[in-house]
Amino acid sequence: MRKTLLVLALLAMAAPGQASGQSFLGFRGLGVPVGPADGRSVALGNLGIGLGRAGLSVTDPAAAAHIPFPSVFVSMQPMWGDFQLEDQSGTMRTTRFPLIAIGYPVLSVNGTVTLSLAGYLEQRWVGHTARTVNLGGIDVPVDDRFTTDGGTSVARVGWSQRFGARFAAGVSAGAYVGRLEREFDRTLDSLVVGGDVRSYTEASSWHYGGYTLTAGFGADPHDLIHLAGALEWSGALKESPSEDTEGDENRYSIPLRLLWGATGRLSERLHLNTSFAYQDWSGADGFQPGVVSAKTLSYGAGLELQVVRRPTRGIPLRLGYRRVVPPFRYQVQDPVETAWSVGLGFNLVEVDGIRYGWMDVAVERAERSSAPLSENFWRATVSLGITRF
Amino acid sequence: MNDRSRGWMRALPVIAVVVGTGCDEVLPTASSDDLIQGGVAVEVTLPFTDFGTRARVYGGYGRASELAGGFIAHDFGTGPDGLAAGERGLEAATLLRFGRYPGFVSVTDTAGTNRPDSSLTFLSGRIVARLDTLSSILSGPVEVIAHAITEPWDGPSATWEFAVDSVGLRVPWSLPGGGVVEEIGSGVWDPEAGDTLSITVDSARVASWADTADLSRGVRLTTRAPGVRLQMRSALLWLETLPSINPDTIVQVLADTEATSFIYDPIPKAPDNSLRVGGAPAWRTVLDLDPPRVLHGPPELCDVLGCPLEISPEQISYAGLRLTTLAESPAFAPSDTLTIDIRMVTVPDILPKSPLGPPTTGFAGVVLAPEWFSPPAGHVVEVPVTGLVRDLLRGETPDGDPVSNTVALLSRFEPLSIEYVSFSDERSADAPRLRLILNFPPGSGGGG
Repeated sequence: MRKTLLVLALLAMAAPGQASGQSFLGFRGLGVPVGPADGRSVALGNLGIGLGRAGLSVTDPAAAAHIPFPSVFVSMQPMWGDFQLEDQSGTMRTTRFPLIAIGYPVLSVNGTVTLSLAGYLEQRWVGHTARTVNLGGIDVPVDDRFTTDGGTSVARVGWSQRFGARFAAGVSAGAYVGRLEREFDRTLDSLVVGGDVRSYTEASSWHYGGYTLTAGFGADPHDLIHLAGALEWSGALKESPSEDTEGDENRYSIPLRLLWGATGRLSERLHLNTSFAYQDWSGADGFQPGVVSAKTLSYGAGLELQVVRRPTRGIPLRLGYRRVVPPFRYQVQDPVETAWSVGLGFNLVEVDGIRYGWMDVAVERAERSSAPLSENFWRATVSLGITRF
Repeated sequence: MNDRSRGWMRALPVIAVVVGTGCDEVLPTASSDDLIQGGVAVEVTLPFTDFGTRARVYGGYGRASELAGGFIAHDFGTGPDGLAAGERGLEAATLLRFGRYPGFVSVTDTAGTNRPDSSLTFLSGRIVARLDTLSSILSGPVEVIAHAITEPWDGPSATWEFAVDSVGLRVPWSLPGGGVVEEIGSGVWDPEAGDTLSITVDSARVASWADTADLSRGVRLTTRAPGVRLQMRSALLWLETLPSINPDTIVQVLADTEATSFIYDPIPKAPDNSLRVGGAPAWRTVLDLDPPRVLHGPPELCDVLGCPLEISPEQISYAGLRLTTLAESPAFAPSDTLTIDIRMVTVPDILPKSPLGPPTTGFAGVVLAPEWFSPPAGHVVEVPVTGLVRDLLRGETPDGDPVSNTVALLSRFEPLSIEYVSFSDERSADAPRLRLILNFPPGSGGGG
C-alpha cells in the first residue's frame, strides 16, 4: 500500500510533464531543447546515453533491458538564471517536471516495456516594447507585450531486449505532444486616448503532433567497458492551431539524431563516461531562413566516484561537463550551451547493484550564447525513483 | 531489505513532496522589437448613419423638489447673447415651508443648572439661506425678497402655474408664480461677503406658521434684480424664543424644514433640432445604436488592412460617442460643471418609463465644462462607450446578460440642476459620431 502511494505521489508530481528551460533562444524556431533530465545524466555531463548500470533512459532505448523489477522515476528541475540581450539584462526562474519514466520487465522473454514522457523543446519568454502609434493624427503611447508559453514533449513506449549478459537492444516509438500558448497584449495610454480604454489581447493556442522512432543498443564487451548507441528518427513535427485559433498548420522536419556513449571503469569506485550526439539542422524544412544552426555535434563527459559504499546503500559523487548545440539561433550566430555540473546520488536502498529507492541530485552552472543574447543559469535536477513497487 | 532501508523508503514520499513545493516562476522578459510582431492599430470615426438609427429627447424625469435646493431668477437670459425677440427671460422662485417648532429647549437657569424648558415664547425669526457662489449668476449684491404664501400648495409638486400638480389633482395658483403673496421682508446677498443671506421674520408671522395644519404656510423667495439667477443650496428658519426658566435669556432654535422647492417660467419645450440632457425635471436623449460588424471604409483603413473588414468586440480598444455642443437658451445654460452618463435602456418599448442599465462612465461620469455651451459652442465632447459597443457587437454583456441597442444620455445625478446641456442632433452637420480605435493582428483584413 505504501509503495502504491509512493508511486502515485511521484506520478502526481510529474503530471505537468513539461520542460525545464526558459530562454529567448529559438524564439523564431521551436524553442530551446530540454536535454537530459535525470539527475545522474545531468551530473555526469552525459547526453542521455551510454551510462553503465541498469536503468531507464528516454534516449537510450536499450538501457532498461537489465532492470529486474518494475521501476519508476521522475525528475524535477528548478532553474535560476539571468540573461543579457544587447544592453538589457534580466532574470528568469522556473521549476518544472521534465521527465517521468516507467520500466516493467517481462522476465519470461528477457525484455522490458518502457513508458516515458519527457520534455523536448520549450518556448517560454516574454517580449515587450513601448512604442507610439499614430491614431487620428495623434501619437499615442502603447505598450505591447507578447508572451509565449509552452513546448513540446515526447511520449514514448519502448521495448528493451536483453541478449545474454553483455548485449541488449531496444526500440521505442514516440509521439510529440504539447501545447503552445501565445498572447499579444496591447495597452494604449488612456491619458492620450480618453477614458475607458481597454487592452487589446490576441491569444492563440497551438498543439504539437508527430512521431519519432528510436532504436539503439547497449553492449558490455568487457567487464570494464559499457557502450551504447542510438538512432532517432522523427517525422515532421506538426504545429496545428487549436479550434479557437485561426491559422494554418505548420510542419517542421526534425533531422536524424545519432547518439553514442561509453562508460569505462577506471577503478573499483571510479567510472568515466563520454557521450556524443550528432544532429544536422541546417537542412531542416519549415523554418524561416537563418533560424537553424549549422553546428551539429554535442558532447559531454563525466566522472562518477563511489564515495560511500555500504552493503545496502551507496553515495556516488559525480562531476561533468557538456557542450551542446541548440538548434535555433537568436539572430545569426550559431548558439552553444556549455555546462559544468556536480551531483550526488543517494542510493537509499541498493542490493546487488540494483537500486530499489534512489535520489539523484545535480547542480549545473551553464551558459548559452547566440549573439547578441547570452544567458547564464544555475539548474538543479532532482530525480526520485523506486524499483519493485 | 533491513529496517534502515525501509526507513529510507518511507522517507521518499516526504522528499517527493518537499522537492515538489515552491515552484514559482519568472519568465525572462526583454524589450526588443525582435521578439514582438506588433499588431495594427487604427482609428476610425463613423458618421451617425453608420452606427445610429434614431435619436430623440424625453423630458419630465424627476421633480424640482428633489433637488433639495432652489433657484431665484428674474428676467434671466435676456442679455446681449440672450433670447430671441419675443421670448421671455427666466423667472424662478424658491418655495419653502417650515414645519413644527421645537417643543422645548435646554436652558441654564439662574442657579447655573441646565434644565429643559417647554414653556417657550417665540419672539421672531430669521430665514437663513445658503447660496452657491459659483453657480449663481449675478453682477453684484442682489436683494432677495421673502413673501408669505397665502394659498394652499404642495411642496413636491408645485409648479409656476399650479399650486398642486399631482396625479389626479391640479390646483392652479390664483396668480402664476405662487399666487397672492404678502411681503415678509428682504435681504441683500453680496457673494463677496459670504454665501449666507438672512431675512428677518416678525413675531406675528412666526406665530402664524406655528399652525402646522395650515397648508398655505410657506415662503416664496424672489428677486426683482433683472438678469440674475441664484442657486440656493439650503434654507433654515431660526427662531428666537424666550424661555420661562430664565426670561433674561434669548435662545435661538431651529424649526424643521418641511419642503424646499422651486418654480420657474417658462418651462423649456422639447427641442426640435438638438439633443438635450439635464434640467429639472430632467431631459434625456435616447439613441438607437447599431455599430457595424463589418467596415467598408474609410479609405485610410482599407489602405492599411483591406476592406471589407470584419471587427470583433475584443478588437475595440476604445469607443467614444462624439457630441458637438450647442448654445441654446441662456436661461438654462450651465453655469457650473455638469456630469453626464450613458446607460442602456433595458426595455425600450416602454419608453420614456423604461428602467436603465447600470452607469457606464464610472462614478465620476463625463464632466462637461459650462463654457462649452456658451456661444459659439461647437466643442466636441466624447462620451466613452467602449463597453457598450463591445457588448452590442457581442450581443450580450460579459456576464451573459442581454443587451439593448437603445441607450440614454442623461445627467449623472438626476435631477441635478435647472440647467441643461444641448448637442447637435443627427440631422446636423455636426451630428454625433462614433470614434473607434481598433486593433488587428498582422495580416488580417478582408479582400474579396
